[in-house]
Amino acid sequence: MSTLVELSGVGRDYLVGGTLVRALRSVDLDIQAGEFVAVVGPSGSGKSTLMNVLGCLDRPTRGSYRLAGVEVSSKDADERALIRNRLLGFIFQGFNLMPRTSALENTELPLVYRGVKKSERRRRALTALVRVGLEDRVHHTPAELSGGQQQRVAIARALVTDPPLLLADEPTGNLDSVTTYEVLALLQELVRQAGRTVVLVTHEPDVAACADRVVTVRDGSIVASEQKQAPADARLLLEQARQRAERVGGS
Amino acid sequence: MTALGVALRALLRARLRALLTTLGILIGTAAVVVVVALGTGARARISAEIANIGSAAVFVFPDTGMRGGTRPNAAELNDGDAAAIRLDASAVSGVTVWNTLRARAHSAYDSYRTSIMGVDQEYFSVRGFSLAEGRGFSDSEVRAKTKVVVIGSTVRRELFGTEPAVGQWIRLGRHAYRVIGLMSEKGRSPFEDQDDRILMPIGTWRSRVSPAMGRRVQLIMASAKTTAHTARAEEQIRTILRERHRLGTDLPDDFVVRSQEGFRKAQDAILDMVTGLLGAVAAVALFIGGVGVMNIMLVSVAERTREVGIRMSIGAREMDIMLQFLVEALLLTTTGGVLGIGLAALVSRALASSLGWSLRLDGTAILIAISTSILVGLCFGILPARRAARLDPVEALRQG
Repeated sequence: MSTLVELSGVGRDYLVGGTLVRALRSVDLDIQAGEFVAVVGPSGSGKSTLMNVLGCLDRPTRGSYRLAGVEVSSKDADERALIRNRLLGFIFQGFNLMPRTSALENTELPLVYRGVKKSERRRRALTALVRVGLEDRVHHTPAELSGGQQQRVAIARALVTDPPLLLADEPTGNLDSVTTYEVLALLQELVRQAGRTVVLVTHEPDVAACADRVVTVRDGSIVASEQKQAPADARLLLEQARQRAERVGGS
Repeated sequence: MTALGVALRALLRARLRALLTTLGILIGTAAVVVVVALGTGARARISAEIANIGSAAVFVFPDTGMRGGTRPNAAELNDGDAAAIRLDASAVSGVTVWNTLRARAHSAYDSYRTSIMGVDQEYFSVRGFSLAEGRGFSDSEVRAKTKVVVIGSTVRRELFGTEPAVGQWIRLGRHAYRVIGLMSEKGRSPFEDQDDRILMPIGTWRSRVSPAMGRRVQLIMASAKTTAHTARAEEQIRTILRERHRLGTDLPDDFVVRSQEGFRKAQDAILDMVTGLLGAVAAVALFIGGVGVMNIMLVSVAERTREVGIRMSIGAREMDIMLQFLVEALLLTTTGGVLGIGLAALVSRALASSLGWSLRLDGTAILIAISTSILVGLCFGILPARRAARLDPVEALRQG
């Protein structure tokens, strides 16, 4: 296993109304390729800032961030855009799909910025949508899809560029328990079967339980990193959740 | 191509807003196109007019204005003046004189009111008239004040219809004149139908049509050797006439010298003023239109901040975002430009029919309209586009 993410001494300060806010103090974190890591912590703990730094959306104020062996903390805006396009896939809590745009076109979008030609884009987007089980919804717009389906489109969009690292920021925050486990089962499969690396931010212990490792952030620092011997099987939990839902629906 | 698709979709989503925004650009480009068409049309008309009369022509006519009563007798020009110019003005190649009177002419078939002109033999060459049928006046006819006329094609049509005119008779007042020639059609100048006239030797005209005129002439027309000689010819004519009219240095001219060149310059000056004025209107309209585009683009950027954040998170570079909004602005302004050409076509058609000018929207006008609207789009679209491109992805994603 190679080290995909290496953070050492990463800090991020903000100036809010003249006062310095230390969102991240000094974070050291290594993530191996093929790991499923959950980042947990109370709100305001700095886990979102950590996610933004990991996603090259934000630059650390200090420290070093090596992604796939490349130092990215000092890259400029366009270089970071390129890194996001090539090495990263984002899954957001609010799905963040383009409105009034079909699932297929949403999924194609990262390839547009990569300059892939149309027929190839189409083919790869369809493959990604099949991978998330939405082959019969490709021409639906987000408004015509359920929350779980929208999140699966977002996952397809994150997968379409074939990035080594998937970053999921509260991906199940807006979903009910059945679709939560659907999404988690999909993420687990991507790690187990396709060898992806997933970093997932959540504040729900049930969700974090599905990860291989749980990293706890508090007050801008990592306070715990717990390796799970037996992570919860999301597929199994999904079945249970479905049965519960059926019982509730039936009674 | 994709940027175009995205921009198109964004605009179609807010159709009414887009249409209202293009209105300013529409009016602005229409004004630009009309200005260009008007300018070219008017210039073409002036050139045609000048070419028709001859660009080297210099006109001299008496200054009949009574200036504060200092000159009680109306000034006059006569044959002697014309002869002196012919003899002494070195920059002049030909001189002709003529008198005109409007009167009713009668043929065996019909009667018609037209200009009766007394001319000398040089008239034809100096004015550039040629004969379609028959012949011009002979020396002996001029000397003997013979009652012969050459007619224009309009007169021929009015008086003789389709009958051959040469050899027929025309009665003017108490005298009958024989038609010996028919002029080639010269066409309309904006002021007059140049084919609507009856020409006779000036001697004949003086003795039969208007004996009261004596040796006076209403107009002397000289042609300078070349267009470049016009100014010198004017100066020579002025000197000769002032000498002949015994005007002291303190007295103003009692005649007016006008050249085609001067006429063209005066017309050009008026034209420049009109086009300048319309151009200013166009510029103001385009500026206001451009500000409208900028305004709506800023709104569009603000509304779509989150969208920009999403695009950035999946790998859009600053340039990609900038291009997207710039294309949207360009699409707005060029739509306005194209609609503006349509409006300009309607306006110039209306103008053409009311002014009687030929106003054509040629390729140049359309090219100018399109490039103007593109320029406005670039100028006023760049700021909102830059604002979008410079957004911080984290901030942008946090938006509504």
